[in-house]
Amino acid sequence: MKKRILIIEDDSTIRTQLKTLLAGNGYEVFAVTDFSQTIEQLKEAAPHLVILDIKLPGNNGFEICAQIRTFSDLPIVFVTGSNTDMDELNSIMLGGDAFITKPYNPAILLAKIAALLKKSCPSPQTEIFMWKEAVLHLESSTIEYKGQKAELTKNELKILYYLFKNAGKICSRNDIVDFLWDNQLYVDDNALSVNMTRIRDKLEAIGLADFIKTKHRQGYIL
Amino acid sequence: MSGKQYLKNQLPVVLINLLGMLALALFLIAGDQPIQTVLFILVVWWIVLALSLSAFYFSRNKYLKKLLDMAEQLEERYLLPEIMQAPERADDQVFYRMMKMAEKSMLERIGEVQRERREYKEYIEQWIHEVKTPITAMKLLCENHRSLFFREVLAELEKINQYTEQALYYARSEHAEKDYSVREVNLCDVVHSAIADHKYLLRQSNMTVEIDEIETKVYTDEKWVRFILNQIIGNAIKYCAEQPVLHFEASKTNGKIVLSVSDNGIGIPQSDLPRIFEKGFTGQNGRTGKNSTGIGLYLCKRLCDKLGIGITADSENRGTTIFLSFQMNDFIIGVQG
Repeated sequence: MKKRILIIEDDSTIRTQLKTLLAGNGYEVFAVTDFSQTIEQLKEAAPHLVILDIKLPGNNGFEICAQIRTFSDLPIVFVTGSNTDMDELNSIMLGGDAFITKPYNPAILLAKIAALLKKSCPSPQTEIFMWKEAVLHLESSTIEYKGQKAELTKNELKILYYLFKNAGKICSRNDIVDFLWDNQLYVDDNALSVNMTRIRDKLEAIGLADFIKTKHRQGYIL
Repeated sequence: MSGKQYLKNQLPVVLINLLGMLALALFLIAGDQPIQTVLFILVVWWIVLALSLSAFYFSRNKYLKKLLDMAEQLEERYLLPEIMQAPERADDQVFYRMMKMAEKSMLERIGEVQRERREYKEYIEQWIHEVKTPITAMKLLCENHRSLFFREVLAELEKINQYTEQALYYARSEHAEKDYSVREVNLCDVVHSAIADHKYLLRQSNMTVEIDEIETKVYTDEKWVRFILNQIIGNAIKYCAEQPVLHFEASKTNGKIVLSVSDNGIGIPQSDLPRIFEKGFTGQNGRTGKNSTGIGLYLCKRLCDKLGIGITADSENRGTTIFLSFQMNDFIIGVQG
């Protein structure tokens, strides 16, 4: 089941782009368009999480947050252009779960949302990554193929995670490096090549030769 | 009060007295008085005149000296009329009234300037918060359409964001104490978020980022430290050389946690090193085409001073290292056991 997120933000560009971003990351997204009926729209959408701007027409974010807290405990992420201590303090006092300042890094926003959702409504089964009988085990950092296992380093695991997540699609080297940077692994282009070679060696050892194919000048594909 | 000048000012009095003496002498001599009597009267007159002039001089001098001392000790000298006693002499009273008038207009002017400054600062802050909305919108637009072109736009956006942050913190740095909350901060998190703020610029310049042993906690304000780190990273990118490397490392030395940020860029000449934290100082590197503003490090230093963080720089021909030293509070360590 997809998790539902409600965006309460008055800037229309940010609203649509945020919608695209979140929808692209597997969430069902709603946005409030009529700010005189925010609470009604929220109740209708019944989201798992709310992204709330502070500066809004009509009631500001703090007031809306206080109203939401009278009937629900759902996670609220405050997003604002001003990063004064008072705003941050207010947002915490009123029951906000996270405080992010604009311009935020999308990766950080997504990570915060994922963490909050995991805490508020934990999904029982862990995600399983499988592609052509190869299984990626995130918790033990290994890859399994027909009973044979190979240990992976942090970098290798993240690279494979990204390829598995986008299985069947071409992943450009730039996108892979971007993803690694978002996960605080500062790998450059050369290091990526080294890591890819090592991953291929390990895969070959467990019988997965040619599992990752290189698309010339485009990237990699599973 | 100079005695010579005083005498000069009293010249009419002395002259009138001399004239009086002459007239009296002539009158007495015409009245057939003995010359000794005349001389005696003149000498007494002269002595009384001299005594009264000098007595007057000393009392005035004492009074004025007291006022002068008062003025010198005062920090805001224009407030002198507020603390001095109202004078009794008629001419002094006129001067006193003029001083009062001057003070009043000065206070009005100061109030006006302060109000203008505050309004301007508020406007700047508000403007920055507003400009962040379109920056965020552009960032999201680019992230949703990643391509080489948008990557370059994202790198430029990081620069824009950096400049706006600089303006914001410059406006705030005067009243830093009103906007900080010291909390337990994981150094590692701040460094990672500062790197994230420069992700595309760092990638564009092919910077190798190395992080060593920075899993320590310090007590400080996160957003200010992040801003300071952002300035340092920004400089490392701006002044990078071939195969750039940026290295973060933390160490504990005698009661302090020292975070060092080193790069292998073009470095800072020894002669410039002592002055890099001065406002408007651009140095040799800044002047030769890198268009430095001399604001970034100055702001870092200023904020560090307010936060109680030590900041020093070291450079040996190639490469620069900036050290940030955080105090480990005895009290906090004591509480934590």
